[in-house]
Amino acid sequence: MLGKLSWSSLPLNQPIPLITSIVLIVIIIATLAWLTAKHHWPYLWNEWITSVDHKRIGIMYCVLALVMLLRGFSDAIMMRAQQAIALHSPGYLPPEHFDQIFSAHGTIMIFFVAMPFMIGLMNFAVPLQLGVRDVAFPTFNLVSFWLTAAAVLLVNMSLFVGEFAETGWLVYPPLSELKFSPGVGVDYYLWAIQISGIGTLITGINFVTTILKIRAPGMILTRMPIFCWTSLAANLLIVAAFPILTASLGMLLLDRYLDFHFFTVGAGGNPMMFVNLIWAWGHPEVYILILPAFGVFSEVISTFSGKPLFGYRSMVVATMAICVLSFLVWLHHFFTMGAGADVNGFFGIMTMIIAVPTGVKIFNWLFTMWGGRVRFEVPMLWAIGFMITFVIGGMTGVLLAAPPADFVLHNSVFLVAHFHNVIIGGVLFGAFAGYTYWFPKAFGFRLDDRLGKASFWFWLVGFYVAFMPLYVLGLEGMTRRMQHYDVPEWQPWLIVAAVGAVLILIGICCQVAQLVVSIRNRESLRDHTGDLWDGRTLEWITTSPPPHFNFAVMPNVTGEEAYWGMKQKALEQRRLTELPDYKTIEMPHNSATGFVTAFFAVLTGFALIWHIWWMVIIGLVGAFATFVAFAWRDVSEFHLSPEELAEADHRRREARVALVEGREPGITPVEYSDVPAHGTYKSGFHMDPDAGYKGPASKRITTAYGFWIFLLSDFVLFSGFYASYAVLSHATAGGPAAKGLFDLKIVVLETSFLLLSSFACGMATIASNVRNMLWTQVSYLITGLLGAGFLFLEVSEFGKMLAEGAGPSRSAFLSSFFALVGLHGLHVTVGLLWLGTMMAQFWAKGFRPDIMRRGLCFALFWHALDIIWVGIFTNVYLLGTSP
Amino acid sequence: MSEYETESGLGDDSAPGDQEPGTHSVSEGVRNYLIGVALAAGLTAGSFWVASGTSLIYVPGVPMALAALAIAQMGVHLAFFLHITTGPDNANNALALAFGVLIVGIVIAGSLWIMYHLNVNMMAPNYMMDVHTQP
Repeated sequence: MLGKLSWSSLPLNQPIPLITSIVLIVIIIATLAWLTAKHHWPYLWNEWITSVDHKRIGIMYCVLALVMLLRGFSDAIMMRAQQAIALHSPGYLPPEHFDQIFSAHGTIMIFFVAMPFMIGLMNFAVPLQLGVRDVAFPTFNLVSFWLTAAAVLLVNMSLFVGEFAETGWLVYPPLSELKFSPGVGVDYYLWAIQISGIGTLITGINFVTTILKIRAPGMILTRMPIFCWTSLAANLLIVAAFPILTASLGMLLLDRYLDFHFFTVGAGGNPMMFVNLIWAWGHPEVYILILPAFGVFSEVISTFSGKPLFGYRSMVVATMAICVLSFLVWLHHFFTMGAGADVNGFFGIMTMIIAVPTGVKIFNWLFTMWGGRVRFEVPMLWAIGFMITFVIGGMTGVLLAAPPADFVLHNSVFLVAHFHNVIIGGVLFGAFAGYTYWFPKAFGFRLDDRLGKASFWFWLVGFYVAFMPLYVLGLEGMTRRMQHYDVPEWQPWLIVAAVGAVLILIGICCQVAQLVVSIRNRESLRDHTGDLWDGRTLEWITTSPPPHFNFAVMPNVTGEEAYWGMKQKALEQRRLTELPDYKTIEMPHNSATGFVTAFFAVLTGFALIWHIWWMVIIGLVGAFATFVAFAWRDVSEFHLSPEELAEADHRRREARVALVEGREPGITPVEYSDVPAHGTYKSGFHMDPDAGYKGPASKRITTAYGFWIFLLSDFVLFSGFYASYAVLSHATAGGPAAKGLFDLKIVVLETSFLLLSSFACGMATIASNVRNMLWTQVSYLITGLLGAGFLFLEVSEFGKMLAEGAGPSRSAFLSSFFALVGLHGLHVTVGLLWLGTMMAQFWAKGFRPDIMRRGLCFALFWHALDIIWVGIFTNVYLLGTSP
Repeated sequence: MSEYETESGLGDDSAPGDQEPGTHSVSEGVRNYLIGVALAAGLTAGSFWVASGTSLIYVPGVPMALAALAIAQMGVHLAFFLHITTGPDNANNALALAFGVLIVGIVIAGSLWIMYHLNVNMMAPNYMMDVHTQP
């Protein structure tokens, strides 16, 4: 009934997890009780949990990241304490607990601190900077957040129920295989990351579509702020890289749950393939994290130097170069696995090359500061701290990029020092800079300065004290992840490192105090202007906090640094522009879809981890039903009348008028313009306004483009499975090989079914374009029947092979075959479910634009399955059986 | 957002999967799909024929021939079913596709290259690694 779950799953005999669990549960119950007692639930539910406002979602992401930072940091300080005392002694953490802690630390810090923090900042700032009212798919944005939160919940559940992985944050097989990790720890990891991976992928699709398709009029690509560019690059990387993670973790799941042999030591499995695939995701991942941080620094340095960013176009080129190059360096994570000199040489050189665009960026920031009037506000301190720290981390990275040096330093704490150097010094400092920079925009009051500065200095000094000793230790030969050691020379350095961790702890305490103090003193810290830092990009044109619709009238962008240009214009004219012509706008309704989906995701994930199969079914059916219910909605948007907008905008203009006329005390003597002013800053970059961008694309284009991006990520998912098949296709382990196993007659039949089905789908598209319901439905029905026929043939083929003892557990070759072809079959199954739902919708609601858009997406999906099938029948069946 | 909907004529792009404006007549649309299906069926038949061991093709060239036919067929599907064109209204869609193809290529080719070298350098021959056949 409850699978593997029993009373022994609870940590009743382990004091540290037990006490932590009890304390956390008490805190959670107390919080819930307080919320109930104060009647905060309606507010929370309406304004936050179901809010599709990108700013609210961004804030929730950042809160999630900050909370998880506390969890991840407590793991860190426990490890530092353990290593400081564990000379010739077992310390205070038993090995299996220490192993869980370092695995949880890495997993949490990367997936649930760095990622949500960056995604949160993007969510908050990108639509504002683009001058638009929301992202392309607001409800999906909320689903993304809640799926991430679901994964966070699962990972933290492992603290109370069961255990976490003891395998390190990337669960390398064969250690993570069932044979060596029989517990639920690895399963917690795998399902949590798969769930959050779906959320992240949706975010990636959402932001690529938003940035490429939804911008204010005149915001051509080369007028976008750098943060939008780096967000675009990061999200392209998400779309391209996360499917590889999904694929490799999916294969490991198949190994663990269904006795496949991708990465096992027997039956031809190849654990090195996992290492290869996971790093093909893992290296782009670090750029997914650092690129948005680079964007934050660009905004901060330019704003606080009072100058436009030096070398805007070289910055764009460097960003996009990194976007592509980051896919060509992954082997440097496993130089020592033995690929040989030429492969290592290639990836070593590529790694050194990728340092070049990063170097370009550093110089651009330096030249931006040079000759500027630098204001040392807290965000700027983080930026300067970053530049110094990150350069050191980059240098040690280039050192590690030389394969011979890597053979000495691989798996040592030198490496640990290196990546903390770039991730703390780069990503985390960037997150904190962005947090301090945009906090006043989000909440209408700034953060306390003194505590902010104190926190910065404790973090900076603490970082150096904690991690510089690790470089020394690495060179002395200390490997990472040691629960105890017997080299007395190491201990003093480890004690120093522990002191560094304590300094960072003080830094974190300062941040918590800063938040509390700032909220208490919010009246004296309030920002009435909306442009507290004398900003240059469009988020500063609206009030702080911005209204939920961001802009009453979309700004009209006529040059780079859109807002700065308008501001200068208004300064010259010393007045606001004419009252704009307010038009009715539509905003998306709140939606419980995200929360409900996350609920079912947690249910499914938990059930899968503990093998509670009936609960898995409930979870999956529930998630599907949620989406059908969401897709069935009739009213998705509400209207805001011109009067409402005028009234809301009136308050903003009041504040601005006061500024222009100099009545507002205590603000820098800069004056402010208004939305539709036409000003062009830096005339050298002035573009012909007629050649510009005309504003957000239609919903049909946006939807289809987003789905197109999803399909590309799907191709990448298949490429991961296909790569495994290609590598493992000869690993037959003495079992049947392709020749003599596959029946080409069935494949011919399958292919014809799919092709004809595609044709029928095309006919449905044509029929629906001319609004012919009968032919639409008939064509869709034929599409579905042919698809079902394909599935039937495939299932019977699989059944026959299983009956002959040629199932996936026989050999690595058969595992990869079943996974690849089965994945395609799974897509067809999902397509059929989708088709059925859509036919019902066409029937019930007619040719409504939103259902027509779904028809277009379905057609794209169905035709794309053909393309994948062409790859499969050629490479698997034909190449396998040809002479 | 109807504001966007009314602007649909303004955009320079077309939605991926939408046929070019001007080919909206039903017969032209059907003809387009018919051509696509015919070409795809022909190429598929060609692939199966090549793989069936015909003596007309030099045997070591069979994988190359299959690859060429498969890529051609994928192109047919893209052009006739997914309506991806080289026109300026499709630039964004084609660029996204190109990026996707680049990544797919890197993942597959890179993995094969790396794993081939790892196998050569690191792995004992398959039969020795396999528990089923170990003495």
